[in-house]
Amino acid sequence: MEGLADSRILIPARTKSRRTQAAIEQGIKAFFGGNALVAVIVLALITIFLFREGFGFFGQNLANLRLYRQAGLEYVDIIRATAAQHEALSRKLSEIRLRQVRVMEKRNAPLDEINAALASFDQFASAFSDTAENLHGLVSDLTEQASGLKERLFARAELLAQRSQLEQNGEHDAAAKIVLPEIDRKSAFDSLHQGAATFESVSAEMTAKLYNLLATAPPLPDPGGQKAFEQWKTQTREYLAGLPAASEKLRSWSPDTAIPWYRSISSFLFGREWVTASFWQDWYGIVPLLVGSVMVSLVALLIAVPLGVASAIYVSEVASRHEKRLIKPYIEFISAIPSVVLGFFGIAVVGQAVRAASQSSFFKWVSFFPISERLNIFTAGCLLALMAVPTIFTLAEDALRNVPRGFKEASYAMGANRLQTIARVIVPASLSGIVSAILLGLGRVIGETMVVLLCAGNRIAIPDFTQGLGTIFQPVHTMTGIIAQEMGEVVRGSTHYRALFMVGLVLFTITLGINYLAQKFVARFRMSIG
Amino acid sequence: MTHPTHRTYQRSVERLVFWLFRLATYLVLAAATYIFLDIGIKGGRTVFTSTPPFINVPFLTEPPQTLYVFDFEGKKMTLGDREFRQWKTAHPGVEVEATSIAYSAGGIWPCIVGTALLVIGSMVLALGIGISSAIYLSEYSRNGPLIRLVRIAILNLAGVPSIVFGLFGFGLFVIFFGWNVSLIAGWFTLGLMVLPAIITASEESLRAVPQGLREGSLALGASKWQTIRKNVLPYALPGILTSSILGIARVAGETAPIMFTAAYAMKDEMPWQVAKFTDFFFQGVMALPYHIYVVSSKIPQNEYTERVQYGGAFVFLFLVMLIALTSIVLRERSRSRLSW
Repeated sequence: MEGLADSRILIPARTKSRRTQAAIEQGIKAFFGGNALVAVIVLALITIFLFREGFGFFGQNLANLRLYRQAGLEYVDIIRATAAQHEALSRKLSEIRLRQVRVMEKRNAPLDEINAALASFDQFASAFSDTAENLHGLVSDLTEQASGLKERLFARAELLAQRSQLEQNGEHDAAAKIVLPEIDRKSAFDSLHQGAATFESVSAEMTAKLYNLLATAPPLPDPGGQKAFEQWKTQTREYLAGLPAASEKLRSWSPDTAIPWYRSISSFLFGREWVTASFWQDWYGIVPLLVGSVMVSLVALLIAVPLGVASAIYVSEVASRHEKRLIKPYIEFISAIPSVVLGFFGIAVVGQAVRAASQSSFFKWVSFFPISERLNIFTAGCLLALMAVPTIFTLAEDALRNVPRGFKEASYAMGANRLQTIARVIVPASLSGIVSAILLGLGRVIGETMVVLLCAGNRIAIPDFTQGLGTIFQPVHTMTGIIAQEMGEVVRGSTHYRALFMVGLVLFTITLGINYLAQKFVARFRMSIG
Repeated sequence: MTHPTHRTYQRSVERLVFWLFRLATYLVLAAATYIFLDIGIKGGRTVFTSTPPFINVPFLTEPPQTLYVFDFEGKKMTLGDREFRQWKTAHPGVEVEATSIAYSAGGIWPCIVGTALLVIGSMVLALGIGISSAIYLSEYSRNGPLIRLVRIAILNLAGVPSIVFGLFGFGLFVIFFGWNVSLIAGWFTLGLMVLPAIITASEESLRAVPQGLREGSLALGASKWQTIRKNVLPYALPGILTSSILGIARVAGETAPIMFTAAYAMKDEMPWQVAKFTDFFFQGVMALPYHIYVVSSKIPQNEYTERVQYGGAFVFLFLVMLIALTSIVLRERSRSRLSW
């Protein structure tokens, strides 16, 4: 019988009943279908869990902001801001001095002569910084008071939370045992409010002293320095004119003014400070991180787009067959370099090289060289560019290759040469494909973690854009970097923990948006080539 | 007609622009080559030796140790943790002021093991789910709103940053499921991360199997599943596996997703030294990429640390590139051979 009848002939001899057969088939289909749904489920779960862990942030941050006001920290910060402005002016004075010294050194003046010429200026500068002595004293006094109050309020809130937790569990006896300490906020605020009167007298005294000082300001030998000094004087006058506004603010300030709920959201989205684990006040503003991510990605794209698109055009239109067979796999190969190895290479080699280059005499004419930090936006951007090139190259080359042959032939038939054909026919026809390649490259770069964590310098501050092109040699911190760096150390469920999840959510939203745009462009590309 | 001088002018412009394109291309290749050479040469000093067996076996087979550097009788001594203790017992009464540098002695064996475990587990997971989804998408599904949704989800999932996967894995597996920092949490996180790539590659391979093979089988009375099992999968599987190797390279190379789901900076026991069998899945492991992150950011850069830093990077790069190279070579070969 062997070899005569296989079980796969039209009507099998022994069949399970049709119905079981169909049920099994249905089951298998359902199994595969269920697996196909995993992608949807995972995407949904990512969204859900980012929200789940992150959403409590707004409530907690609101409480955090309310405590900031109720404990009077905000009140102290008004005074602190004026003290900080004073310090900034002081710093500017020493900058002016430094410039003076440099100018005189260029004229080969000996050090003694420089010091002699600047003696009256130095006297002026030290007198200036002395004027704020009382102000600083006031700030440190009030700081102590306010942080003490904050601590007590915080402890009370903790106990309150504990008690309500116990009551929820039905342990009323234990809950009743927790005694909430009474906090005499009124007297605390009265003593704080006396700060306003002190501030007024301090600032009046300082104003008088400063006007006197300004009247006796010594001239500077160098006209450039003198100009900067005059500018500084106007700034100081503006500062003094602003002092009454600060004391007005102090007088009208009240700890009981309500903080609207949306402040919690706006302080996250537009907050310019990310300060955590501080004894004074934590701020969770995403702007410095967002700016860092965007700056690094921009630098990376500025390098990667010309390289990636040029090499895509080269490989698809210019290169010989042999070159193609070598270059394409090699660039694909580059995309497999692990990001952490690139990051390590950045620390060990690129950062040093960038700093060494900035110190070389060849670049002496560049105003912002030599740079102080070897790990900065530029270092990270260079390495990220290398990660983005393979993505951009592969997708752009695909788009270029998919331009129908007829387009090219028609162009040649009209007498155009190869460059004209590329520039006027092939690239325009595949433009939306190339744009989508660039967008996907951007998505890869903005979501990359290890390179920026290791090479971007990790300083949480908005870079100083007044430095022009020198901005890209400043260290920044990024959204991906902050998650990777701080997630391991935070307390679960704390405001900080939830803030990191919110950063993740913002990152997720941004990459989804980029992806969506890229898909739009791909669709347009398919339309354009028919 | 264009004027002849105009044409020569255009020809030289063309040549110039093409040279610029060529320059850009080779610049990229040169940059990558420089990285390979730098890590290859400096890391090679750690991994290879000039005497037989030519490979630094202890570096590959020992766990990381703390390095002690000190002066003794005018000589600079550098000893690993264990040797340092032996030396101390051999020299009783000698007080030395030793600087200790973490992770800088010993080798990277536990990291290699941990990475291998992570890769195997997550690839099994990803291939299982990925191939099944691809079979559904290419063999069963008809275009409908649900399938469109699935395709959109796959496309978008491919663009999700790896650190977001890490956060997700942390929120779901580590906290919500209570698996803590563990191998299994890392498997799921990494597996789901490469899923889109596996699905896309598998579907491509399945679709490349000619329709006639399916129709022939169905015409003989085979059921749908029989057709897929006997006439589609055998032909698609080599392609699926080849493309999936690139997924392995990605899984092995990622650091961000395992940072807070599976990786420990330091662990004394090897993964198989567990009290009971189930503990195996719920233990954190050391992983090569995380180890490289730790040694390049947490300890200073100097002559003593260069050994582990470059050595680790070399071994890791070598392994990942080997996987990637296998995938690329196999694919180039199958492209030229396979034509239906």
